[in-house]
This record gives sequence, C-alpha cells and structure tokens, in this order.
Amino acid sequence: MKTAFAFAAMLTAAPFLAPLAAGQAHAADNSAPLRFVLIPKTVHPWFDKANNGAQAAATMISQATGRKVEIEYRAPQTADVSSQNDIIERAIATHPDGLILDLLDEKGNRATMDEAVDEKIPMTVFDSLPPEGMDITAVGADFCEQGTMAAERLANLVGKKGEVAIMMGVPTAPNHTLRAECEKKVFAKYPDMKVVATGVDNDSIETAQKQASAIMQAHPDLVGWVECDASGPVGVGQAIRESGKTGKVKEVGLDNLNDMIQLIKDGVAESSASSRPEMQGYWAVVSAWQRAMGQKTPKYIDTGIDLLTSKNL
Amino acid sequence: MSLETTVPATPSQQPPKAPPLKALVSRLAGNPLGGVIAALVIIFGASCALSPHFLTTFNMVIIARALAFIGLVTIGQSILMILGELDLSVGAIGGLAGVVGGILMVQLGLNPWLSLGLCLLMGGACGLLNGALITQLRLHSLVLTIGMAGVYGGANLVATKGVAITGVPRDITFLGRGLVMGVPVPFLVLLVCLAIVAFVMLRTPVGRYIYAIGSNPDAARMLGIRVNAIRMGAFALAGFLSALAGILMVARLGTAQPSIGDTWVLGPIAAAVIGGVATTGGIGSPIGAVLGAVIIGIIEDIIVLFGISPYWQSVVSGGIVVLAISFDALARRYLNRDAV
Repeated sequence: MKTAFAFAAMLTAAPFLAPLAAGQAHAADNSAPLRFVLIPKTVHPWFDKANNGAQAAATMISQATGRKVEIEYRAPQTADVSSQNDIIERAIATHPDGLILDLLDEKGNRATMDEAVDEKIPMTVFDSLPPEGMDITAVGADFCEQGTMAAERLANLVGKKGEVAIMMGVPTAPNHTLRAECEKKVFAKYPDMKVVATGVDNDSIETAQKQASAIMQAHPDLVGWVECDASGPVGVGQAIRESGKTGKVKEVGLDNLNDMIQLIKDGVAESSASSRPEMQGYWAVVSAWQRAMGQKTPKYIDTGIDLLTSKNL
Repeated sequence: MSLETTVPATPSQQPPKAPPLKALVSRLAGNPLGGVIAALVIIFGASCALSPHFLTTFNMVIIARALAFIGLVTIGQSILMILGELDLSVGAIGGLAGVVGGILMVQLGLNPWLSLGLCLLMGGACGLLNGALITQLRLHSLVLTIGMAGVYGGANLVATKGVAITGVPRDITFLGRGLVMGVPVPFLVLLVCLAIVAFVMLRTPVGRYIYAIGSNPDAARMLGIRVNAIRMGAFALAGFLSALAGILMVARLGTAQPSIGDTWVLGPIAAAVIGGVATTGGIGSPIGAVLGAVIIGIIEDIIVLFGISPYWQSVVSGGIVVLAISFDALARRYLNRDAV
C-alpha cells in the first residue's frame, strides 16, 4: 500500500515537475506546415461533410501559397460539453496554429476558450456562435431561418391546415431547440394548423424512426413532419415509408445527408432545408488561415441555406 | 523462537538474488495494486516518449482536472462494487445535482455555498433512496438503478426543459477552474475524498465490514454485521460523491448543463475493474480504482495528442484497456512459471 501512496504522490507532483518550456514549436518558421485542429460537436456524418470542406480548403491554400496546411479532425465521441472541453484543452496542449470549433454551448465552452486565448491560439467557430465579447469569426447559417424555411414549406404543401408533428433533436442542443421554436412560431401563425406531437430523437435515426411510427399510430390524421437535426428526417422518412403513408404524410427535412437525399429522390420526403456543411468547413479554414497570417477577418460569414428538392438534386 | 532464526546466514546459505526484472515483477505482484501501477508506469512512460506535448505542465493540469470528476464517481462506484453492488444512476444523480444547484443559485438566488451543501445532501438522499429500495424490497441493484437513472435523468429534463442554466455565481467557479500552487482545485478535492475513503476502508471496522459483506453477505450477517445499513450507507456515499462531481462540473463550466454526468456511468466501472476491483465483490480498493481512472484519463489524453481518427478512438482506447487489465495476469503467470 505504501507503494500505492508513493505513486499517488508522484502523480500529484507531476504537474510541478513537468518541463515548463515545452510546446512553443508553432512560432516563427514560415516553411513549417500550418496546423489547424477542427473539433466538431460529436462524431456525425454532417461533421464529416464539414471536414471534407475543411480538407478542400487546406488543399487549396497549400497549392496557392506553397505552404502546407494540415487539418486535424478530433471529434468527441458524445455531444457533451465537458467531453468537448477536454478535447479542446488537449488540442491547446499541442499548440496548433488555430482552433476551428463547433461549440456545443458557448457559455459552457467559455472557460476552455479563455485558455486558448491565454495561450495565444486564434480560434474560428462554425455552425455556432462565439461567446459574448470574444473577437472570433463565426461561419454558419441562421438556424432559425432554416427551421422557418422548412416549416413554411410544409405549411404551403398541406394547404396551411391539419395536424403536424415536430421531431426534436437533442433537447440540450441549442441549435436544435432554436429550430424547434422557430418551426412552432410558423405553425402558430396558421389557425387551422396544430402541432399535435413533438418527438425527441437525440440525433439518432433509429430513435426518430421509432418515435415517428408511434406518433403516426397515435395521430392517424397527421399530414406532415418537420425536424430539427440531421438524423431526425431520415428516421421520420423511413417511418413514413414503412407505414405506407408516402405521399399522404408530407415531410420537409433538414440538411443533406445521403439518406436524406435518397428519401427526396424516392418521393418520401418532398424537400429539405439544408445548411451547407462543406462550405462551412471550407470558409472556417480560410478564416482560420487568415487569422494565423495576422489578417483581420469578418465577424460573421453566412454560408446560406439550400432548399433541396427532386428538381435540383 | 528457534535457534535457527537467530543465526545469521552465511553468504553461501543466502537464497540466490533474483534478476532485477524478476525482482521488480515480484515486488509489484506482491502488491495488490502492482498490476495497475505497472500498467500505469508503462502507459505514462510511453506517452512521454511518443508525444512532446504530453509531459507539459498545461497537459498535466488538463489530465488532473478531467480525472477529478470521473475519479470522484469512481470512488463511490468502487465501494459499491467491493460490496457486490452497482449503481448505474450515479451519472444521473451528478447531473441532477448540477442542475438543482443551478436552479438554487441562479433562479432562486440562494447563497452559492448553501446551494452547494443542499445539492450534496440531495445527492446523498438520492443514493440513500436507491439503497433503501434495494435493501428493503430486495431488488437487484443493477436493475433498480437502471430505472432510477431514468427517474433522475427525467427529473433533470423536467427541471431544465433541456436548456442549460447560465449565470452561475463567480463565488463557486473557483472550485471548478481554480488552481492552488498549480494544482487544479477539483483534483485536490478528489485527493482529500480518496484519502478519507481509503482510511475508512483500510483502517476502520466499517471498511472490514464492507469487504466481509462483499465476500459473503450471509456470513457477514451471521457475524452480526448490519449488512443493510452498510449497503444503504455505501449507496448514499456514492450519491454524495456523484453530486460533488456534478456541482464541481457546474463550477468548471460556469453553467448547469443538463448533459452533465451522461458519460459517468461506464467509465467508473471500467476504471474500478482496471484498478483490480472484482465485479463479484470483496476484492479491490478505491485507490486502485482511481489509478484505473488515471489510466483511462491518460489514454483519452494521448488519443487526442496523437491525432488518432475519431473513428479509431474506441478501438484504440478499448485495446489499451484490455492490455492494461491483462498486464496483471501476465505478470503473475510469469512469476508462477518460474516458481514451478
């Protein structure tokens, strides 16, 4: 047991004994590769698309400037603020030339971002907004506008009347909650429309499918669906198809996952209000690179929203 | 005492000196924590050698602070495992304590320190409720706490509607973010809790009773040990420590996130097993369990430092954990082979 206590004491002392001067390697060498760490909310196909855009921007900058740009993609296994903070802190420990972050909660991420400021590591955020008072470029689309676009599209499809349902994403994700609120506001404008059910899919296709099937059983007069995350529309579309209600129950989805696009092509979903993840990743890297070069960058870069239909796919 | 034992042995009579490697392995194998310490030394050394960013003050602080939260939950869970029990609601209790703390401090404007105390009491009460239901209704702890995790997690969502509570007073953020002589405050809290619990487990009758109950509850009952009272107390302690981790995390984040504790269920169990706590009860120690948590914390750290693809992270971390828990068995097999 003495050995154990001695070892515990050694571990406790490690922070004091560690070398103080490590990790300032990113400083002045203009020929060294520029290294940016991209940290999304979690492992998810939407962020893979954003990473594809980021890698494309890195290739473009490398070819245009002759200086290699590397993107390290480090995703938390779960969409949890403390897990994301742990990864951000560990990325800071490697002293990259910039951090590109999709924040889960700007207030919960604040303390960790302050550490990056202390270490003089420039940051860019995408798909989210930076904490108040931080001079950071945000790249993304307006979540409320995206939800509003989907809900208006559905309202027009069903003649602005009937029972509709909303599939929430992760109840604790601010962007999902905001989309749901804006969708509800649209439906509230039309007196003949009623939101009869709100499911919670926790950004899982399987959960969305189960919830949507149950809701359609409980509400046989349901005429349409909108969702708040990228997984929800895929699960809802599968439930519509399985219940034989294709065409009877309208769906306007979100985003552009491959399964979502296939549902539109198959006629199960009518359309999708899609953010542009590749473009968000691309412009986030461009902004981060400009910051690393000491350039001023805009406060906000709006990458816009596409309405995907069978005609423009 | 026999004459033989008083006569010093001549050099030729002394047993041959074991080779250094074997001597080290023998010494480690003789210690119940030898396997986990050896695995930790190897992983720590390899990390130092492979990443220039690992052994830096900044990174050590990161590891220590991240360890504090999971370590507190691990202490409680390891005591339950030594008793032969499990509590899968510890994460939910931690999350509920965090958001209740946020509500008390922000929405009701209560004194932060009073709120903190109330949250700890609430966590202890939740654990005690688990223990009472398990002992009085004779339910299996695994099944009961799965259900209670839903209850506490659901109460969390009802209270917050899934939205984080912001504006936590700065009075308590020092508890989560502060450093004392370069050491994170949550880590110091972990060390204090571990020292107290280790003392109780190793130096008091209560600790011996816990091992006795974990080894054979019926025999312990026949010896006059108040089995149900100790089991309830252990569940209450696990709830208390989870609530402490939850409120420290609120202080760390500066917001009361409803998702706090979501990742505190399997990690502490894995840490305890790595640290030598038997899932069948009666064997292990909270110190070993926390050393297991250190191994997991270092693995999580180096996965990011090495830039391992997120799709390979589970494979890599799982593989290292398997290697770590195999090390003890391999070392013992090595010794036994030479002894035959």
